[in-house]
Formats: sequence, C-alpha cells, structure tokens
Amino acid sequence: MAKELQRAKGELGKLTPAPYFISYTVYDEQVSFALGMNGSLITSTTGRKRMGDVIMRVGAPALDNAHGENRPSAISTETLPFDDDADAIAHALWRLTFSEYRKASTAFLNVQTKFQVKAKEDDLSADFSKETAQSHTDYKEVALAPEQKEMETFVRRFSAAFAKYPYIYSSGVMVTGEKSLQRFVSSEGGRVVTPDTMVRVVIQAETRAEDGMELIRVETLQADSMNKFPAAAEIDAKVEQMAKDLKALREAPVAEPYDGPALLSGRASGVFFHEVLGHRLEGQRQRGDEEGQTFTKKLNQAVLPEFLSVTDDPTLRTLNGTRLAGWYEYDDEGVPAARVEVIKDGILRNFLMSRMPIAGFDHSNGHGRSQAGFMPVGRQGNLIVSSTHTVKDSELRQKLLDEVKKQGKPYGLYFEDIQGGFTLTQRSAPQAWEVLPVMVWRLYADGRPDELVRGVNIVGTPLAAMNRILVTGDTASVFNGVCGAESGSVAVSAAAPAILFSEIEVQKRAHSNERLPILPPPGFEHEAKTSAQVGGQQ
Amino acid sequence: MKTTLVRLILLLGLLPVLGITGAFAAEAKNAPGFDDPILRDLQTEMARSKTQLRLENMSAPYFIDYRVVDIDDWEADAALGGLRSETHSRIRFLLVRVRLGDYKLDSSSAHGEGAIELVPLDNDEHAFRFQVWSATDKAYKQAVEALTDKQARLKQLTIDHPVDDFAHTEAVQSLRPLVELKVEREPWLKMLRDASALYTKDPKVQLVDAALSFKAVNRYYLNSEGTLVRDGEQVYRLTINANTQAEDGMRLERSAAFTANSLQSLPKAAEFEDRAATLLATLKQLREAPVADEDYHGPVLLSADSAATVFSVLIGENLLGNKPELGQNARVRGQFASSYKTRVLPEFLTVVDDPSLDSLQGTALLGHYEVDDEGVGAQRVSLVEKGMLVNYLLGRQPIRDFPSSNGHGRSSLPLSWPAPAVGNLVVNSSDALAPGELKKKLIAICKDRGLEYGYYAETMGASQAPRLLYRVWAQDGHEELVRGALFGDLDQRSMRSNIVAAGNDAYVDNEVQPVPHSVVAPSILFDDLEVKRQTSNKDKLPEYPAPETARK
Repeated sequence: MAKELQRAKGELGKLTPAPYFISYTVYDEQVSFALGMNGSLITSTTGRKRMGDVIMRVGAPALDNAHGENRPSAISTETLPFDDDADAIAHALWRLTFSEYRKASTAFLNVQTKFQVKAKEDDLSADFSKETAQSHTDYKEVALAPEQKEMETFVRRFSAAFAKYPYIYSSGVMVTGEKSLQRFVSSEGGRVVTPDTMVRVVIQAETRAEDGMELIRVETLQADSMNKFPAAAEIDAKVEQMAKDLKALREAPVAEPYDGPALLSGRASGVFFHEVLGHRLEGQRQRGDEEGQTFTKKLNQAVLPEFLSVTDDPTLRTLNGTRLAGWYEYDDEGVPAARVEVIKDGILRNFLMSRMPIAGFDHSNGHGRSQAGFMPVGRQGNLIVSSTHTVKDSELRQKLLDEVKKQGKPYGLYFEDIQGGFTLTQRSAPQAWEVLPVMVWRLYADGRPDELVRGVNIVGTPLAAMNRILVTGDTASVFNGVCGAESGSVAVSAAAPAILFSEIEVQKRAHSNERLPILPPPGFEHEAKTSAQVGGQQ
Repeated sequence: MKTTLVRLILLLGLLPVLGITGAFAAEAKNAPGFDDPILRDLQTEMARSKTQLRLENMSAPYFIDYRVVDIDDWEADAALGGLRSETHSRIRFLLVRVRLGDYKLDSSSAHGEGAIELVPLDNDEHAFRFQVWSATDKAYKQAVEALTDKQARLKQLTIDHPVDDFAHTEAVQSLRPLVELKVEREPWLKMLRDASALYTKDPKVQLVDAALSFKAVNRYYLNSEGTLVRDGEQVYRLTINANTQAEDGMRLERSAAFTANSLQSLPKAAEFEDRAATLLATLKQLREAPVADEDYHGPVLLSADSAATVFSVLIGENLLGNKPELGQNARVRGQFASSYKTRVLPEFLTVVDDPSLDSLQGTALLGHYEVDDEGVGAQRVSLVEKGMLVNYLLGRQPIRDFPSSNGHGRSSLPLSWPAPAVGNLVVNSSDALAPGELKKKLIAICKDRGLEYGYYAETMGASQAPRLLYRVWAQDGHEELVRGALFGDLDQRSMRSNIVAAGNDAYVDNEVQPVPHSVVAPSILFDDLEVKRQTSNKDKLPEYPAPETARK
C-alpha cells in the first residue's frame, strides 16, 4: 500500500492540477450472519471481503475538490483481492487511484469556477485541516470472530420461546458477527492499523392489535464476542418479557393526544439525546447551505439546563460495566480518538470534528468516522449525558406525579422504551432510528394502577423539550446501536440518566388496519377459532 | 440431469376432500411425498387453508399453490491473481399464491401476486408450518383486495377478446431425488486465482477477473388441485472477464462463460487457463486492430455462436406468451403481438422449444426439465414453421386462441412468480450449408455488389456490438480483425427479410438468466446489414503505468 501510494504521489504530482493529499484505507472484513425463527434456523451465511478506499484531495487545503457538495469526488472505492498478494493489491490500487484522480481533478475545476462566480460563503474555513500524522501499526486482536455453528445454536435457542405464543405473528433472532482490520496510509506519512470485532444480536417480535395496529418489540445486544453476552437465563427472561409486553400492548388502549409532564427512562433518554441533540453537534452541520445549523450561532450560549453536561468520549470502552459500541482508538481519518466536552453546564462549548474545519474550529478532535466507501464526517462515538441535579431513580416516579398534580393533569407519561422501526427482512443492519416510543405508561395522579398505552407519537420541537428538563435520575443507562448518516453506518453508544420533562406533546400514530390472521397458527388449531380470542397464553 | 434418476409421474384426480385436520393427518400418511418433511408440512397447511381459509362475506380461494425453493449457493471471485470475495449461503424461500374467483376471472394480475416468506432450513414442523400459515394469510388478504379492485376496473373497460385468467390442467405427481452441493473448495479457488493472474503477462491489461457460481437448488411444489412435484437441479458457472484500452483510449472487453449442470462437465484447470490466455491474446489483437469503417451496408455472416445470441434476444424473448396489461387487446406483449400466423423468419428456418432434450451432440442442455414451475409437464412446442409464427411459449396464463399451458411456466432464482420462459430453443434450417459454403456465398455477394469486403462476426457482446468482428476480403478471402463496430439495423425486420442462408452447424448457448435455458442455432448469412462505428466516448489512457509485478 505504502509503496503504491508513493508511486501515485510521485506520478500524479507531475500533473496539473496535482493532488496534495492521498490516502489508502484497506478494510478486511469477515462477516457472518444467522437468522432463526421459532426455534429453527432460517439462514446462515458467511463471507469475507476486502474493500479499498482511495481518498484524494486536489488543489490546496484552503480550497480543494472536496469542497461543499463535491465532497464525494474525493473518494473512490472498490473490492480488492484479499489474498495477501502484493502485486494484485498494487495493481488494483493503481486502477482505483487513476480513476479517482480523474474524478477529483474534474471536481476541483468545478469547485474553482463556482467559488469565483458565486456569492461569498458564510463560513470561510479551509476544506482540510492540518493534523499530525500518526503511526500506530502494532495492534492487538480484539476477539476472535464468532463461530458460525455457535451463532446458529444461539438463534435456534433463543427464537424458540416465541413459538409458545399464538399472538406473536412474526418473530426472529438475528446474529451478525463482524471481524475487521482497517489499514490506513496517507501521503502525509500516517500509518494506522486498527482491528475490531463486534457481535450484534437483534431479537424481534411482532403482533397486531384488534384494530390492526402493528406492535413490535426489539431487544439488541452487542459485545466483542459471543461469550460476553449475558447468561442464557437473562436472555430468556428478556424474551419472555418481550412476549409479555406484546400481549399487554395489544390489549392496551390507544394513546390520546396529550401535553404534559413525562418521564423518559435512561435508555429512552439516550436515544432521544443521540437523535435530537447529538446529530446537531456534528461539526459539518455547522457549514453549508443545506444544513439547519441549529447550534452554529449558539456557541458559548446555554442550550440545556445548567445541571446537564454532554461529552462524546470514544476512548471509553465500558461504562458501569457495559461495553460501549462507540469505542475506537483512531478515527477513520487516522486521527486519535479524543474525549470532547461538547456541552458543559448547559453551555455549548465544542462540536464533534472531522478534518473538515468550521469557523472557530480548525482541527479534528478524532470524530471523523465512516463506513468503507464513504467520506468521513464528524460523527458521534459514545455520547454521554451527565447531570448534577439528580434524585434517586426510585424517587423519579413520585417527582413525576408531583408535577402532574402541580399542573392539574389527570396523568403523566412514562416512556420506558423508545426505538426505531427495525425489521428482520432487511439484510443489512438497521440503518436509522426514529424517535419511536414503544412502551409508554400512563401514571395516574389519583393512585390508579399504571396503564400501558400504545400508538404514541412525540410531536413538537424536540429542542424546545430539552429546556423543559426538571431533574434527572442518578444512574446512566447505555443504549448501543448502529447509526446511519451521510458517511454510512457506524457503531455508537448513547448513555443518559432517566429524565423528567415538565412538558412533552404526543399524538396518535397512524397505523395499518389489517385484519388479524384468519386461521390460528399451527399448533393452536384446536383452540378458540375466532381471532378475537387468539392470544390466550399456554 | 442424470438419467439414473427415478422418475414417477402419476396422473391423479384431486386429493380426497378432507374436512378436518385430524382426519387429514390419518389419511395423509399414505399420500405421496409424505416421507419428505417439507411436502408433508405443505400438505398439512394446504388442507387447512383449502377448507377453512375464508373471511366472512368473502369467497374462499379456488386455487392455492405453495412453492419452496431451497438454494445452496457458493460464489467466489478472483481478480488479478487474488481472491476477492467468497460467500456461502443456504436459504429457503416460500412463495404462496392464493387465487379468488374462478378460472375465468380471478384475483390475479399481470405482475404475479402472493406472499413470500423465508422458511427454516431445519426440518422443524412447527417453525416451517408457521411461515406457511403466515404467508397464506397474507396472500389471501391481498387476493381479496385484488379481486375487488380488478372487478371495479373491468367495469370501466371494453374487452374485445375475453381470455380466461387461469388455464385448467391435469394434476401431476412427480417426485425426483434431491440434489446436494458437494465441492472441494480449494482446487476451484486456485483455478480462479491462476486464470486471473494472467494479467501479469501483458502490462496493458487493466483487469482480469474470474468467478464461479455453484448452486444446488431443490424445488418443492404443491397446489390445491393435487399437483405435487419435487425436483433438484444443479447449475455450475465459471466466467472470465478481461479488459484493456487501445492506444486511442477505446475500451475493449472480452469474456467467456462455462455453464453446466454437473461438475464433470466444467473445464479442467488447464483448459480454463487456456481459455483465459486466448481471451488475453484476442484482447491484444483487438488493441492493435484497425477501427471499423464509419459506415457499411452489405453482407454479414454470423457464426453459430453469434447467431444463438441474436436468436435469443430478437426471437426467443418475443415468443413468450405474456398476456398484456388488463384492458389492452393485443395477444401478447412484445414484438410478436400481431405476428401470429405471419412470417417472422425466412421459409427455410424452423424454431421449436423442446425441454425434453437433455443433450445435443454430446453437450448437455441446460433448458432440460420434466415438469415446469407450475406443475405442468413440459411439452415440445413448434413455434415457427417454415418461417411462420404458429405458437407461443405458455404457462398457465392463457392468451387469445391458446387456452392451455404448454409447460413453459418457470420462475427465476431466487424469487419470482412463474412466467413463460424459453427451455431449449432450437433453430434449424431445411436448406443447410457447410460454414465454408456460407463464407463463399458472403464473398460472392460482395463481388456482385462491388464491395471490397464483407463482415464475419465470431462472438457478440451486449447490445448489438460484436466482440470479435472480421472483415472478409473479397479478393482473397483473408480475414482481418476490426474493433469498435456496432450493428445498425439488426432487428425483427432484418431477421424476417435479410437472412439468405443458414449453416449445418449448431452452437449450444447455455444460459442461466432468467432461468436455465439453452439456445441452439446455426450460422446465418444476412445479405444486407448496416455496420457502423461506435460513437461512445473514449476514455483517456491511465495517467501512469501499472505497477511492475514481481512475478513474470
């Protein structure tokens, strides 16, 4: 790689315009996948591949081919031979490099012309920051790739329990194992090798209520290796809980429009902060005409109550004993990961930066992340929300009820779980989360028992909600997931304590009105035949 | 397919109508296929669906079919001497169709309809039946909506020639042994690496890749009329691609494919490497060849290989009896919509499709099968007689004047609803000449018209561009390779009017897309075709040379 990079630098350097930066990233990936339903294996696949990215910047750091909407012109990607045959890899990189040069040099000419004819941009920052080249080539394997057989056993074992419940119309357990080695070399002399291993489990079950509303429960697990997952009994309990939740959900009343106090569990808060706040803290969202730039002009101003602080710290491997999915040592531009204090005591102090500078922030802070084949941009790693105004988690319920009484409302809402519309039919890992509440309870002021409701949708401006935070719990919960954005899918974590809001607005969610299955599922033929009664537990 | 396979076809009436599940279980134990867990579970769910699946105030299905496709698939690809990808996957799909209404008018549409689910690889009865149950429920509900929708649309339309929606057919029972994918990986991977490593012999070659796709596919089919079919097929395919650029920047590409239904019929490593070496040699010749003249009108000879490609695209695809969209009065979709009983080829050519042929002159035919994917026995169909179009390839979707299936309803992998498809399409000439005679005839036409040369196309690429095209000089008959040519008017009209002779040779083109099929054709001579120069952009040559290789 390094040799071919030198040759490219030398040969292309003679041309006009010439590249001032070239990097090669080679990703070795071993991916395995197993899917089980009702105790039986549905599919099992395994594959190896090696991807090569060439990033090329033509012009000068102040203005180059990656400027604005031309950013994709700076990258070309292709599948490379994964045998360690130096000739083959050099030849493949050569092909990729000269085709990338054509793309990059054409784009640079466009950028130059546009820059001259268009109005001056608001943010005159350079296109590429100067960073110290890193050398990190000894690495330690994170873990071995999971055995295919082991994954198959897992999905059979844990998908079996759903078969007991006739009201679960679709369910499955999916394990994806990925072992990767990423090699980065740059014309600045950077050389970084980083290994990673990740096993991800998605357990999903679905039912429908009488009125056709689709109800879904999803649990995810993430670890370095199969043996780091919780004990079987604990997973069994989760599965049983999912089945119980679904039964309760299909019998639950539909939520009514509501505007009042609400409590978000730590897990729900984590997702909420990741989506609502985290994405807006990514550096590149502060420049360019298409961006909302919510926070661009808010630097050094209060954006959260003063008892809240937010950091993004990819260097943390675990939090309270839980493995954090957003851990890494070097970002995808070869810059060391760093802890960034984005919001300190409610005041916005920093952004999550890649090597794309923005006004006031000339350097990367190690958050330039991407999936193979995408240009890195500022992304979240481990987003951690901390609070100095806390009460014991056990007291939050009472705090909510106090606020409900104060506002004269009949009940408050407790968001136990929030998640997106995952589906197992997709081959790739889930790409995006919506803030989609799933387990939402009414907590009554008059002491009636808590009541689960279904079909809740959060409305209004989520940012406004951020300023209606009254108090938080005292322990952080971790949500691990895969986040999709313009630079592809990356593993992230979000950790937050439970949070009490003085006001959140919800409305009814639109839903399908498909009928329940006409016949009972196999194995339940002799039970009551009308669909209304299907759902009895064994 | 191996000839030793036991084949069993029993023509039966409908299975006894069974009222309740318990009774079914007792009788079904004696039913054919019951020792096969997949067929057994499909039969159990079929019995339930047939007798009980119905929404209040809605009609019950008049037809249900279940198809399970079990694909064991190994794919690998090497480029520049190194392995680039390797995947192994095993998956089983279930496709369920439910039809409401009757054979005359039902819930079906031209797009195919039904529900698809993945089904377990383990033969676990509960998990398997659960997926069948779930898909059947979805398919029934879709059919209820589709029928109402179709009845409403029909009220707005005038139909000149009413055609039934679904063909009656006899129930077929055919159980054949299952197939397995048993391959030793390493020798094949080595073969791909070695062939793709040949790029080192020629520094101007930009890419050589070699790939394999080996599949063992088992299919299970069951319908509510009593048809029950189990069949296995193996498809092995090896491909090589190479590309380069000529000095003027023109992109040049060559490829070769080997397709077979047994491992033994694939080339050995040495033969594969030879073929790769030949490809590279022709690429070098192409690089150095002159560019075709800007415009040419005159005789063109297509080799049997090229002719097979041309017959497949221009004739084969238009022989499919696909019913047009609702409300359109044409007989079929495609170029031959109004060609029934008219001439589509010269009088000396005939075309038949005969899936019962398993080989021709020692070459296995990939389009061989016994029963199609709708459970209908394959039939030999005479399509073009003395140049006249007399029939179409049909599945159970009737078209005007053709109320029955002729056993050509097939579904492509991994997932599709059955549609008419080519099996073994064979083109024959009643007045066949030896290839040498055809060349003489080409030269004679040139001389007659005062042309210095005619053209001979050895192989065709995609979209009317010959890959290897030669000028045949009238003066002494010598052949000269040219590059960058494109046929201008090679279409149904020229097939009908400009073919003046055909050879006594035959080339077997085994293809896997959209379904495994074969096209067998002789060389053909056109008295007049346009050959023009490609106008596509020429890319620049690489800015700097390829890296030197350690191995030479």
